[in-house]
Amino acid sequence: MKKNRYFFLMVLVTLFQTICLFEIVIKLEATDLKYPAIAFGGYILLEWIYFIIHRGIMKSQSFEVELIGFFLSGIGLAITVSVYPEKSITQLAAILIGFAGYLVLLWILKDVDRCMKLRYVAAVGSVGLLALTLMLAKFTNGAKNWLYIGGMSIQPSELVKVAFVFVGAATLEKLQSTRSLTRYIIFAVACIGCLFLMYDFGTALIFFFTFIVISFLRSGDIRTIIFICVIALLGAVLILMFKPYVASRFSSYMHIWEDVEGGGFQQTRTLTYAVSGGLFGLGLGNGELRNVFAATEDLVFGVVSEELGLIIAFSIMLTYAGLLVYTVKNSKSVHSTFYSILSVSAAALLLFQAAVNVFGVSDLIPFTGVTLPFISRGGSSVMGCWMLLSFIKAVSFREKEAAK
Amino acid sequence: MRAIANRSKILYALTGVFLLGLIILGYRFYSNAQNWSGQRYNRHLYESGTLVSGGKILDREGVPLAQNEDGARRFNDDRTIRMATLHTIGDLEGYISTGVHTQFKSELTGYSFVDGLYNTVADGSGNDITLTINADLCATAYNALNGRKGTVGVYNYKTGEVLCATSSPSFDTRNRPSAKEVEESERYEGVYIDRFVSGEYTPGSIFKIVTAASAIENIPDIYSQTFTCEGEYNIGEGKVICNGVHGKISFEEALSHSCNSAFAQIAEQLGNEKLQQTAVELGFNDSSAAGGNYLNFASSKINLTDAKKLDLGWAGIGQHTTRVNPCRFMTLVGAIANGGASPKPYVVSKISTASGRSVYKAKTKLMDGYMSPETASKLKKMLRFDVEDVYGEWRFPNLEMCGKTGTAEVGGDKEPHAWFVGFSMREDLPLAVVVIIENGGAGSSNAIPVANTVLQEALKLYGE
Repeated sequence: MKKNRYFFLMVLVTLFQTICLFEIVIKLEATDLKYPAIAFGGYILLEWIYFIIHRGIMKSQSFEVELIGFFLSGIGLAITVSVYPEKSITQLAAILIGFAGYLVLLWILKDVDRCMKLRYVAAVGSVGLLALTLMLAKFTNGAKNWLYIGGMSIQPSELVKVAFVFVGAATLEKLQSTRSLTRYIIFAVACIGCLFLMYDFGTALIFFFTFIVISFLRSGDIRTIIFICVIALLGAVLILMFKPYVASRFSSYMHIWEDVEGGGFQQTRTLTYAVSGGLFGLGLGNGELRNVFAATEDLVFGVVSEELGLIIAFSIMLTYAGLLVYTVKNSKSVHSTFYSILSVSAAALLLFQAAVNVFGVSDLIPFTGVTLPFISRGGSSVMGCWMLLSFIKAVSFREKEAAK
Repeated sequence: MRAIANRSKILYALTGVFLLGLIILGYRFYSNAQNWSGQRYNRHLYESGTLVSGGKILDREGVPLAQNEDGARRFNDDRTIRMATLHTIGDLEGYISTGVHTQFKSELTGYSFVDGLYNTVADGSGNDITLTINADLCATAYNALNGRKGTVGVYNYKTGEVLCATSSPSFDTRNRPSAKEVEESERYEGVYIDRFVSGEYTPGSIFKIVTAASAIENIPDIYSQTFTCEGEYNIGEGKVICNGVHGKISFEEALSHSCNSAFAQIAEQLGNEKLQQTAVELGFNDSSAAGGNYLNFASSKINLTDAKKLDLGWAGIGQHTTRVNPCRFMTLVGAIANGGASPKPYVVSKISTASGRSVYKAKTKLMDGYMSPETASKLKKMLRFDVEDVYGEWRFPNLEMCGKTGTAEVGGDKEPHAWFVGFSMREDLPLAVVVIIENGGAGSSNAIPVANTVLQEALKLYGE
């Protein structure tokens, strides 16, 4: 019964992706059909090979997490292929690498001792990578978060995000001493500090949130958490006071309609085109928001709304919430605190990031320009998301134990 | 592990906050969708600020009043029609906020929350809107005003369709006045106001219809009373001046001769409360308007709460502080013609997509009842008597007209406003009319010819 349900859902997801490809192909009118076809063909193939191995050969029980990953990643692929057909293969490659990372991490995670050893490497590597970015990167669109290596561009903070959750969960697993907490705080301050210096405030906020979640899960000490939040708030106020440039980046918040050609440009365009699509969308390729700067990255929620409709756009949002609820619900029967902290904080991070993106671009909160997990175009982001998904998948490790 | 599982339950609260945010977002989307989608930078609808995806606006005969051609919005080719229908259609810049271009913007662009702009993008154009007005009739009315400020409105008192609406001063959309001209030139005073829908004027003698209605309902022996007019009537601490010396006259004659002395006496008999009450029953102080896709006309206002005797006398003949909206008053005489209740007036009769699918069709809806059929029938007789007894049947040939003139004093050394309200009793021409000419002089000599000219044209067009 359950097996049939996953099969049925897989068919639905594939059907949806096939329709997307169909819409894209119609719109392109016989030019560059090769790349979209390869990208979608490769992606659907990946989904089914994994499904068959996972369910048919390995007889694994749960498939929710992967299914959500496939659904969301598929929408991201559809948007990228539709807007930039020439970048189809790059995006598929990013998903494949991300998926490989997902499998490798799942293997690593199986052995808790191995994870404990790796945590130092991950911590030192993370801070090192961020520091390197800080030194080498130039300001692009107001933030220093891109590294260019041999023609390829990567966004290190997206990968460090993965390490940040990993280190947090691993550091606090074994040593319940003050020393391990102090070390984690130093690590967190180093990472968040670097992000601040890069002016990547959205990502800094996500890191801070993750730090709070992990600390709370570990200690359960709500007073300390509040204390940390107050200190952070004071710090933020100080920064806003002494760096007016930073404050000016948020000056259009709640005033976007008074400055539609300036500070409110991206937000107003997103909202206008999002409602232009109605509940069912104008169809892939029929939108106008795609011509606005950063449409497939920061504003992708608007592109999805305009072209695929508000129902799908809001369903995506509910998916992140569903993933967190699923993880929290299942975390009580996991056989290690490491897994439970790891999975819950990774799911919380994804939901929080989705909130910062969507509520930011729709002016509910200040607009900071972070990506929408799985949906926004960009290799680093997609890879990071798939790796975080392996952490969430760790919540089902108990079933393995039970099987043994 | 259990501890961690318990602690992680706090993330349910976080999810709750997130869902709350989604609900707020969804609500904002829903309630602002029309405004957001209609922004001038929306490239589905506009090209460099010009509406390019708006549908056609047609008059009742299918004459295009505004449509898109070669990426620009074009108004009708006839200059008089452009000027006569400007306020009903509205300008593209949205200064005339009551016009169809503004009030029906999302219908014109074909936007709906469910479908978004799907049909507009698919058809390359929004919805076509067919109006109830006849462009030629509007042009006739505009010409009849002959450059004087004011408004003319005609509607079918059985269905609510507005056949003619014009407001002066107007301007030509192909040669619009500069902001400076509009601000400074006396010629363009209030040019962005649709006087038919939004104007508020001192009623003068047309208000005697209200006073008469109140008398019919509150003074049982009103028909057997006679009134004495010596050219003025002493009331309270002053006197109400009459337009003539009428001697001994009946209630009906008092209305047909528009005797101020008699109506001041009637108002005195009624008292503040009853006159106010009747006025409110007849739609005064009602700010709810018709609403929805019907005309959102301004409210008429009356306040007799603190009126002294002398004020009451003046109020009874429509002077004092009372203000009326032309469109709303038109529905009042329409109600008299229609047995006590008026349909809601409207200008948009149907909306359909570019491919011809009907989206909206106007229906006749009655406004809240004005008066009993008995009162309506009595008032109708009196308004008919006005024409037969005083104005002269020859001034409305073949129209079987009922009506009342008004000459509203506006103070200072300015000429009074000229009013006429009335309706035809012909079965094939169930039309009510309102004419006001600002500082136009006496109602009888100035407003009646305009009303007659417009209705003769309507008779030619739609009479059998």
